[in-house]
Amino acid sequence: MSTGLDLSLREQAAAIAAGEVDPAELLEATLGRIEERNPTLNAVVETFPERSREMLAAAPRGPLYGVPIVIKDEWPLPWRAQRFGAAEMLAAAEPGESGPYRALRDAGAVVVGVGNMHELGASSTGNISVYGPAHNPWNPERCPGGSSSGPAASVAGRLVAGAVGADGVGSIRYPAAYCGLTGLKPTFGRSAMDGHHMAAVSTTIVSGALCADAGDCRLLDSVLFGEELAAGEPQGMRIGVIGGDVSDDVAPAVREACEGAIEDLRQQTGGEVREIELPELAAATLATVLIANSESLGGITPRQLNQLDPELSPLGRGLLKYRVLVPAIATIKAGRVRTMARQALARIFEEVDVLACPTVPAVAPPLEAPVVELPSGWLTADEANVRGGALANLTGIPAISVPVGSSEGLPVGLQLQAAWGRDELLLDAAEAIERANGRRWVEATPPALGAEPLEA
Amino acid sequence: MEASEQADDFIPAALAVYGIEADEIELAVIRAAHQTLWPPILELLDLDTGGVPLERDPDLSQPPPSR
Repeated sequence: MSTGLDLSLREQAAAIAAGEVDPAELLEATLGRIEERNPTLNAVVETFPERSREMLAAAPRGPLYGVPIVIKDEWPLPWRAQRFGAAEMLAAAEPGESGPYRALRDAGAVVVGVGNMHELGASSTGNISVYGPAHNPWNPERCPGGSSSGPAASVAGRLVAGAVGADGVGSIRYPAAYCGLTGLKPTFGRSAMDGHHMAAVSTTIVSGALCADAGDCRLLDSVLFGEELAAGEPQGMRIGVIGGDVSDDVAPAVREACEGAIEDLRQQTGGEVREIELPELAAATLATVLIANSESLGGITPRQLNQLDPELSPLGRGLLKYRVLVPAIATIKAGRVRTMARQALARIFEEVDVLACPTVPAVAPPLEAPVVELPSGWLTADEANVRGGALANLTGIPAISVPVGSSEGLPVGLQLQAAWGRDELLLDAAEAIERANGRRWVEATPPALGAEPLEA
Repeated sequence: MEASEQADDFIPAALAVYGIEADEIELAVIRAAHQTLWPPILELLDLDTGGVPLERDPDLSQPPPSR
């Protein structure tokens, strides 16, 4: 009997249900795989074999019965408080049943480890963490993306077939793009969120799945949503391409791969492509950062800021203190920009079904210096990435990153966004792209795992 | 006055108002963040949003009620 270790998420679930894979053997094999590969990736910051075995022993025969899952260090577990990738997270954190944990448990899944993340969720790169950075399985010297760095590296490194991340300003989609995965940022409020330390105040953060392909995301997100995300085959898809820097100030190879995938989607669905102007985008991007920052300050006092844990990174300490200095009027104005952006999108989604743009404008940068070269010059990866990642969090719409190519041996991701509640359509569109390219990019394997290097 | 010169005045004064201390490295981070964020913040403040009603407690799982 196969251990099922290298099967996809839905294949693991099906093989266990059919009696072809023993879930206990799969769990032990997964723990062994983590022990073997994690020293290179630092994707998983803690395992708890006895807890995992207990979960399996008590697991109901749900849709993920016996399937091992990694969960980001942003969600509490009954036996472990989240640390938010930081020496000090400036919020109360205790062990407990978070919504994603409960959803996984009730579906029969087995939480096998906690995924690394960027310190305080504050970057798209994943290069800073109290545990040390996670590494990109495609090139361990490159950023895995953030802030859901560990969940992405866990799946791309084939430690597990599925992981749960969180996305407050692109934090599922950036690592999905950097690591060659599919990652869905759900419509706000649609996926399990309770138990998150910011659940009461955040208007941008959602939980969501990171998996190899859209079919696996559909299964894991169905569990997180608490409802089945039905599959369809969209016809006549109206694809809007967002004009401006988000599509134009992009590394040439990334642009080429994304344009090719958009054309694939058009042909596969018999649809049409049109350019969409979204002049609100630049202001919306800043508004997202301001709102997310102000919400993250919560009950922080100047006294706390003067007594920060010295193990917190200097960057993290400085940024926390800077956030206090941003004038309240700017955050109020950001609220109005949110309304403008939501109204603009409501109009746009009467004309198109999805909005497309590169998830990130360049492939994963070096961990040591996370900057990217774009036609406009060099930018920090965070400055560049937030252009495409923020809008969905500001407005509440769903967004997905789909692997569509490679450059420098590293994956390229295309982002698709849809109207509120149309998460299923994004999964359908991702599957249409997979069909069009023969599943080339979702089945690609990092060279560190013994595969040939990616070629565009 | 250049933004960097303004920051030299603004940052220590603003931190002092809140009673927040910062070491040299933290100050360097704060200056860098300020230089990146402040120009677009000024543009945001300049943006005419007079005709845009503020959505109070918007239901972000849905489109805005009035278009």
